[in-house]
Amino acid sequence: MTSPVRILSVGAAAPALRLPAAEVAAAWGRGPGARGQAGVCAPDEDVLTLAADAAGRALAASGLQNDIVDGLWWGTTRPPFAEGPSHAVLAAALGLSSHSAGALCSGSPHAGMEALLSAADAVAAGSARVALVVAADAVVPGPGTGYEARAGAGAAAMVLVSDGGQAALAARVTRTRPVLDRYRGDGESSTRDLYDSRLFRDQIFVPIVREVGEQLAALDVRAWSLPDPDGRLGGVVAKKLGTAVPASASAYGAVGDSGAAAALLGGVGALDAAGTVAMVGYGGGRATGVAVTADAPVRGAAVIADVLARGRPAGYAEALRSRRQLTPAGETVPMGVPPESASFVRGADEMLGLLGSRCVDCGTINTPPSIHPHCISCASTKFELVPLARQGVVHTFVVNHTMPAPFVAPLPLAVIDLVDGARVMLQVTGSGDGLEIGSTVDLVLRRYAHERGVPVYGFKAEATDSIAVEAP
Amino acid sequence: MSWNRVAVVGAGLIKFGELFEQSYEQMAAGAFQAAVGSVDRGFDPSQVEAAFVATQRGSLWGQEGIAGNTVPSAIGLAGIACTRIENACPSGSDAFRVGAMAVASGVHDVVLVIGVEKMRDKSTEEGLLSRAAAGHPIFTRGETAPVLFAPFATRHMHEYGTTREMLAAVAVKNHYNGARDPFAHFQNEITIDDVIASPSVCHPLHLLDCCPQTDGAAATLLVSAERAGEFTDKPVYVAGFGVGTDHPYLHEKAAFTGLKATTLAAERAYEMAGVEPAQVDCAEVHDCFTITEILDIEDLGFVEKGKGGVASLDGETSLRGRIPVNTSGGLLAKGHPIGATGVAQLTECWWQLRGEAGDRQVETPNGYALQHNVGGRGSGVSVVNILTTNAP
Repeated sequence: MTSPVRILSVGAAAPALRLPAAEVAAAWGRGPGARGQAGVCAPDEDVLTLAADAAGRALAASGLQNDIVDGLWWGTTRPPFAEGPSHAVLAAALGLSSHSAGALCSGSPHAGMEALLSAADAVAAGSARVALVVAADAVVPGPGTGYEARAGAGAAAMVLVSDGGQAALAARVTRTRPVLDRYRGDGESSTRDLYDSRLFRDQIFVPIVREVGEQLAALDVRAWSLPDPDGRLGGVVAKKLGTAVPASASAYGAVGDSGAAAALLGGVGALDAAGTVAMVGYGGGRATGVAVTADAPVRGAAVIADVLARGRPAGYAEALRSRRQLTPAGETVPMGVPPESASFVRGADEMLGLLGSRCVDCGTINTPPSIHPHCISCASTKFELVPLARQGVVHTFVVNHTMPAPFVAPLPLAVIDLVDGARVMLQVTGSGDGLEIGSTVDLVLRRYAHERGVPVYGFKAEATDSIAVEAP
Repeated sequence: MSWNRVAVVGAGLIKFGELFEQSYEQMAAGAFQAAVGSVDRGFDPSQVEAAFVATQRGSLWGQEGIAGNTVPSAIGLAGIACTRIENACPSGSDAFRVGAMAVASGVHDVVLVIGVEKMRDKSTEEGLLSRAAAGHPIFTRGETAPVLFAPFATRHMHEYGTTREMLAAVAVKNHYNGARDPFAHFQNEITIDDVIASPSVCHPLHLLDCCPQTDGAAATLLVSAERAGEFTDKPVYVAGFGVGTDHPYLHEKAAFTGLKATTLAAERAYEMAGVEPAQVDCAEVHDCFTITEILDIEDLGFVEKGKGGVASLDGETSLRGRIPVNTSGGLLAKGHPIGATGVAQLTECWWQLRGEAGDRQVETPNGYALQHNVGGRGSGVSVVNILTTNAP
């Protein structure tokens, strides 16, 4: 006896930068005519921050309290820690309960579908009533490779429940074949393609994706999300399936190939209307198709296209620098507090959970709690831990232009009065253009540093999101 | 409050600058010799009973172990009592305060206060700028020194209409004074346009809004007032001092229009000295950045809160103004070798009160000069010392 698996809400995220294909072509002396663009993470973004943004949107659209989520299922080709607390850090940053379960799926672009199916199984089995699924990726291509201009980044998220919501998982099918396709050897930093694109297309990609697609085509599919790693293969498969331009084409046009996120990202936007959406994911010798049938628009789906449409154009050098493929010579300044030190252990919850200690006597919120044994206003020692508000107003700010590597200028920093009365000082995303006293900001998870292979996450301020999440 | 009075009978410094050719120890010896040489009736170095050494950055190459024993050996007084004082940018002024208390308590009769700082033995990136990565991993990440003061400029401009020109006027005035101080790092005059056209370091502060990185050393000789006559006919006395602190992180500041640590230190120093701000004839204040001097002159009570920018542009703090500030060129032109800074400021006050400041001499009808530093994370500590020619 299994429970139905229903979709309560969806969300998406795109990175800050867009690399035009023409920039890549020009960098390698290729002729004009390159079209399209790809999403590239800014230096303070990665698969974890994209996942946090997308999951945050899905949770906001769900109307649920974050701490009732029973588990987080996260799929990404390469987690930010090769070994380490990737899943735990994301769960903490999302404000999930320390009792929450779930899994991290990785190792190929198929990981997003694996996360979805694992979460669906948990809901079906009754071990999770509310499951959060997020697929996020930021493909790191080898410079000069043929698909470099297509290698993108993005994230999609779903809140699955056994009861409620406007859509349900209707069918699933998986096929596997043990062959190399897109891969990365042990110790290598960038992803490789097979040496011959027609070998890949004719012998590997099209047969397996087509077989999965044909299984789902038996349903009355209104919209397709089809893998399209090079800008042509998606169209080839669509033609074989007898459909027109797949719905996923708009997501690919906005952020390129978002790897493990692509299947979900190409499909969640199509859940803005009733009907069946088929999502096919591919990678690592596996293809999986999932059909979702919506009775009515799913919460959060209507704004997906707007979320993906944003982004600032970046030049090739900036993209390389952001992917850490272009690095400054010489020493960089190490963190005064190394990520493996005791203060990170002490501060883990308060930094990632964004906690303050509210004085029971005078109400002042002290941040962070671990450095305030006495209230800064009244010296009381009686506190209650509270999650800080995630919206505020800039009280004052600077834009730092002069820092040693690994810092990248310009770096805005602002003192922010949060709506709950707490005051914090944080970095601000972007260049600081347009930042003013009185600007309203949201706090978003970003990567503050990447040191000795270890990412360090914390919250930054960002100009208030103009894309409103519809209230449930 | 009952304390034995303290006189300053000698003071001196070495020329500030990028002193690549001098070691820490050579700088210390130069400053000590200058102070000894300044004593009117001569001074036998062996009379020093105890030394207080201000050095803020003990982390430069080869100086990691600076402690109380480093300086006595360098100045030929190995064996004397010696203590190192580290209290951020006010290290020098706090060493002076502690040295004065050692005399005031009656424990010592003759004390050396010496500040020595090597800023240029490490690259800028590995020196001051490296603090972008220091401190709390999130709340202070990217916080170089200008980040500690630039938010006050942003807010002061917003609340009081302070302008870029007003900020620049501070640098122009202090470079004018520095051009008349043979010990200053920079001895060139600049214009408001120069300041505004200089590169942005940390918006809204530009390069010429910022003090340079400077090597230097300075020393003062303190004796009990009753023995001052052994050394000079023109003693300068310690009138009072004060220290104030504030929360260390910027997000803990109640306001970004003034520095609370300065206000507290000044209140305590004025009360101890029994003077009002209006009685101060001239002041050496902490102008690590132009905005800092504007905050200082308000927090020290020389001008009304919010009027520091206008007063600076109007010349109220110039050599011939109502309250001359930073006649030595200040940190902006004379330089900011951190541990030496406060002691060098006190040396300038000593010269002004004795009428020995040459081209930059100001009138001192009341006989009071004030010295001030503020610094540390988030300007969390400030020291004010007040000197006087008025006999106790």
